[in-house]
Amino acid sequence: MARRAHEVAPQAALAVVATLKNARRLTGVDVNAEKLGLTPGLSLADARARHPALVTFDADPAGQGQALEQLADACSRYTPLVALDGVDGLMLDVSGVAHLFGGEDGLLADAQARFARARLTLKPGLADTPGAARALARFSQEGVAPAGLEGRAFNKLFHDLPVAALGVAPALAADLGRAGLKRVGDLAMRPRAPIAARFGADLIARLDELHGLTRPSIEPRFPAPDFVAERRFASPIQHQEAVEATLNRLADDLVVLLERRGKGARRLELALFRVDGAARRLRVAASRPLNEARAIQRLFRERLLHGEPIDPGFGIDLMRLSCALAEDAEPSQHAFERAFEADQAKALAELIDRLSARLGPSRVTRQTLVDAHIPERSVVARAAALGETEGAALDMPPRPLRLFERPELIEALAEVPDGPPLKFRWRRVLREVAAIEGPERIAPPWWRGPEGPTRDYFRAEDVFGRRYWLYREGVYGQTARPRWFVHGVFG
Amino acid sequence: MPDRAEHISHLRRAVARIESSPRRESARALPLTRALDARLGGGLSGDGLHEIAPAAPADAPAAFGFALALAARFMAQSGAAALLAVEDFALTQEGAPFGPGLVAHGLDLSRVVFVRAPDAAALFQTLEDALKSGGLAVAVGEVWRLSKYDLAVSRRLALAARAGGTPVLLTLPTAHDTRLSTAAETRFSIAAAASPREARAGRPTPGPPAFAAKLVKARGGGEGAFRLVWRSEEREFDEPAISVPVAAEALDRFGAARA
Repeated sequence: MARRAHEVAPQAALAVVATLKNARRLTGVDVNAEKLGLTPGLSLADARARHPALVTFDADPAGQGQALEQLADACSRYTPLVALDGVDGLMLDVSGVAHLFGGEDGLLADAQARFARARLTLKPGLADTPGAARALARFSQEGVAPAGLEGRAFNKLFHDLPVAALGVAPALAADLGRAGLKRVGDLAMRPRAPIAARFGADLIARLDELHGLTRPSIEPRFPAPDFVAERRFASPIQHQEAVEATLNRLADDLVVLLERRGKGARRLELALFRVDGAARRLRVAASRPLNEARAIQRLFRERLLHGEPIDPGFGIDLMRLSCALAEDAEPSQHAFERAFEADQAKALAELIDRLSARLGPSRVTRQTLVDAHIPERSVVARAAALGETEGAALDMPPRPLRLFERPELIEALAEVPDGPPLKFRWRRVLREVAAIEGPERIAPPWWRGPEGPTRDYFRAEDVFGRRYWLYREGVYGQTARPRWFVHGVFG
Repeated sequence: MPDRAEHISHLRRAVARIESSPRRESARALPLTRALDARLGGGLSGDGLHEIAPAAPADAPAAFGFALALAARFMAQSGAAALLAVEDFALTQEGAPFGPGLVAHGLDLSRVVFVRAPDAAALFQTLEDALKSGGLAVAVGEVWRLSKYDLAVSRRLALAARAGGTPVLLTLPTAHDTRLSTAAETRFSIAAAASPREARAGRPTPGPPAFAAKLVKARGGGEGAFRLVWRSEEREFDEPAISVPVAAEALDRFGAARA
């Protein structure tokens, strides 16, 4: 099913205008304008000459794109497989879902009613193949091609459509027209080889696509989830409590599905579809496969409480909980001898998931040591929700407890130019060095190109016992005037 | 029904037994040093709020180091993970907790979860949830602004610690105003102390971290001052007396300005 939508006003003829090749041309027209015989591509001057009352708007491609994305979101209530079709259409794969809406006609009627409520006109096309559906939506008055249409009936429906209905480039359509091939039927009835030789194999491929001889897959915006639970409401819900109650039931349903396959959910999405067509998606990730309803509920409640509040608008009439990534759930319940440790690990994983959902995964991390000498690179932080890191032994001289993001410049006084400092001034306070260890020379990896001067690190303790990690940038004799920095502090 | 009444009376007895039993913490108190344990009443309790304040603002790294040393001991005792929560602003001002430094300090890095909180409210909420989860050996939080920390906050944390059976260590930004009353069980005032130095190539080098710890508040009412040296490999505190002259000697060599 493909679909086009234009904004509608009661009587006035509307057109969207853009500047194309230095001329103001119509790029889109509404139903009323179409009735007056105006078509996209006409210059604005001609259109005005014919119909002075024409109302025009400037084209807004970005806004149009956004609106289309929103519509695509709203349409995912029908099927998870929704794709954008050009800049003004949507392609929905409704195989095997139409019965949920009372058949294909019911589905179309529902969609049309919803679009009408949002003051949009739907031009639907429904057929066995994406190509045929697109051709019907864009070039035919017929909305639906009956399933399994073949032979004469098929020809009747499609062979009268213009060749542009095949989705070929306008230039190719013009070429075909010049050759007298104006209708799809003109092409379909002719031997294929000469056509392929003259107009390219792509045209034949498109023809095959229309006839269902090849089936191109559509590229959905979101992959289809493995497990889905959803609830529709006859009367839309508006209160947060109702949303939470539904969430609880959805989680129960989803867990049943997951358990049947011995799976747990690592990534989950809750989609809330509003009556007016807007959709909101909440995504959470878990650090271990979840197969308990309570854990799933807690994660989403965290998002509902601490995240952006849900705006129900005129009400939510569909909620869907889907599991985007499932993994085998480990049967840890059976390890009785380690029950306490397992409980503790589970409690920790739950805590990490909750905090990640509330604060964002980048704020809840674990650190792993990496084999690199540059201090800033010797450790990487990973989102704790990704799972545990491996412990590693430290085989370097002691490092500070806290490291400054940017080393802070200090004034240092050394006994000998290339020696350790005797005193230094940091954050306006003069500090006297009582004990010092170093230098530990750390040079940037030369094989990665120039990355700055060599650093000589010192572990310094002042007379009060406070400890600092200092370094001198540059090598004495090579660098004109070495500078000193504090890079961190020890506990 | 007779068996139902019997069941209820059985439950009542069970509740009474739980309520009358001594608190778990005495079993899980963390021993520090002999002198300190005497003042703490057997050690640092495993389900309470403990505050660690620097004696002077410049001692904040020492206070942080002392808190992490305690955390390392709690982790070693229980084998579970630790959570370290810091506010965004503290990261840019005071530096971010640095993994290799934590390892050198005696912490098992694979068992530390780092949390960056956007503000004080999020920090306290994080700590509260962490404590209640019961999945941690210890939770460590750094209070950046004392104005955000009050009796109500501390009481919530103390209750959460009790509920989850998990200790919480809070480092405070400045030397504590004694008038501020909190629900903390213990409060230390920490200053950096000269470490037991070793002379290497004729030059004194810094030894293991040393703290001048003052016990300001303790459940047993004990107060006192202690000098502690943290041995990160053994994850133990020493109370040395011998190292002081070594430090003094080192100062003579270097510091002309010392009075």
